[in-house]
Amino acid sequence: MNPDVAQSALPLTSSDLSLLTLFWHAHWIVKSVMIGLLGCSVWVWAIFIDKTVLYAHSRKAMDRFEQAFWSGDSLDELYRSLSSKPNHSMAALFVAAMREWKRSFEGAPKSFAGLQARIEKVMDVTIAREVERLERRLLVLATIGSAGPFIGLFGTVWGIMTSFQSIAASKNTSLAIVAPGIAEALFATALGLVAAIPATIFYNKFAAEVNKQAQRLESFADEFAAILSRQIDLNGVRGA
Amino acid sequence: MRMRTASAISAGLHIAVLLWATLSFTGKSFDAPQPDPLPVNLISDKEFSELTKGVKQAPKPVEKPKPLVEKKADEVKPVEEIKPKIDDKKPEIKPTAEQVPPPAPLPKPDPIAEKLKSEPDPRAAKADPAPLPPHKPSRPQPKFDASKIAALLDKREPERKAALGSDLNSSPSLGAPMGNAARLSQSELDALRARLMALWNPPDPGRDAERLRITIRITFTRGGMLAAPPIVLTSGSGPRFMAMRDSAVRAVLIGQPYTMLRPEHYDSWREIDFTFDTSEMYKDLPTR
Repeated sequence: MNPDVAQSALPLTSSDLSLLTLFWHAHWIVKSVMIGLLGCSVWVWAIFIDKTVLYAHSRKAMDRFEQAFWSGDSLDELYRSLSSKPNHSMAALFVAAMREWKRSFEGAPKSFAGLQARIEKVMDVTIAREVERLERRLLVLATIGSAGPFIGLFGTVWGIMTSFQSIAASKNTSLAIVAPGIAEALFATALGLVAAIPATIFYNKFAAEVNKQAQRLESFADEFAAILSRQIDLNGVRGA
Repeated sequence: MRMRTASAISAGLHIAVLLWATLSFTGKSFDAPQPDPLPVNLISDKEFSELTKGVKQAPKPVEKPKPLVEKKADEVKPVEEIKPKIDDKKPEIKPTAEQVPPPAPLPKPDPIAEKLKSEPDPRAAKADPAPLPPHKPSRPQPKFDASKIAALLDKREPERKAALGSDLNSSPSLGAPMGNAARLSQSELDALRARLMALWNPPDPGRDAERLRITIRITFTRGGMLAAPPIVLTSGSGPRFMAMRDSAVRAVLIGQPYTMLRPEHYDSWREIDFTFDTSEMYKDLPTR
């Protein structure tokens, strides 16, 4: 490895420290670390854009749905308009609960006994599924946020090892021999931080957002369950 | 679907940022300003030790002449007004200034003059024609005493400066580094001493530790080895002395390549009398 190192280190004494030369003169391991971190950064920002759009859309849709729900219109109508394709979490929750309700009523033997429990169970499952959909890929952010600096540090350590080997190969400790290797090594750490810092920030932001929306779904589910329970009791009294 | 567009947007952003960074970082090269050259003198350790020696003793000779000058200056002050007139004559007067220290002859002429007066003139002319000329000018001197003293005092000013300079020069430590040139420098001696004291492992002093000094004559070769077995110059008796002596001889033998002694001054260290002193060795031990 030493002759390679010496060859790769010596031409750098031209003190051209642009990003491209830093990258091209790096060891292939450091290079792959840099490319990987760059890919991570691209992925982080893609997730950021995707999630920002998704959450904004979801929040707006929930607002609209709640407005429609509490406007006093017939729930049957609302169900009919949404049942074909529930396009957001709260609609999915509503549709799931309404479907269970309809099924229990449309069957020949009307089964009120466990309806309350069934509806709550269905809604729980739907909430779990929706939250899972909302927080998909957030773990990627968490992973990159915590592992990115370490990956960058690995690249740095490797690069500094290389630069020390180039010292040994050239038997010269002048700054011109050492500095390029250290610069390219530090470049790896910089990339790691560039990928990790946004990832951590976005993860915290999105985790809070998912929490808020899940809370909102829970409270809606409770309210809807209360309404349905009242209906069940009324129907039961009427039926009896 | 949405994820794919997001990835595309993200990748585009990254490429744009990287392009910008590449373009903006490429052109600039770091211009380190050339540091001003620093004058550096290379001196040997010997020169260094002589240098420090000189500096330590330097202030003393400078301080001494000062009070003397001040005393003289106090006496002279009133006469200094005449300076401008006499300044022109300075070169002429200097030789007389050297004769000035015998202003003592001034009182002398009085007895001589009395004798001359009392004795007949022809004798005086026969006896010493040489002493007469100094006496004759000495006679008018009393008339001009004040002015002459003033002149003398004026001459002392250049003299004082000269005296200052001579005083400074006379101090051996300040001026002449060449005087020590043939000697072993202090650092070399100290290095030798440190070496021997480090190797010297004297027996335990015991309760009745009295001071013991053992002088050993060491003869070196040019290479820093022992030319002859070390000779113990101190005579003594008793088991403690024997042990001390043996340990000292051992130390001299063990430390053999004495590389701190430089062959340029071989003459000065061919033979060294080195004294092993227990008081130095046991300095750190608690004394009773």
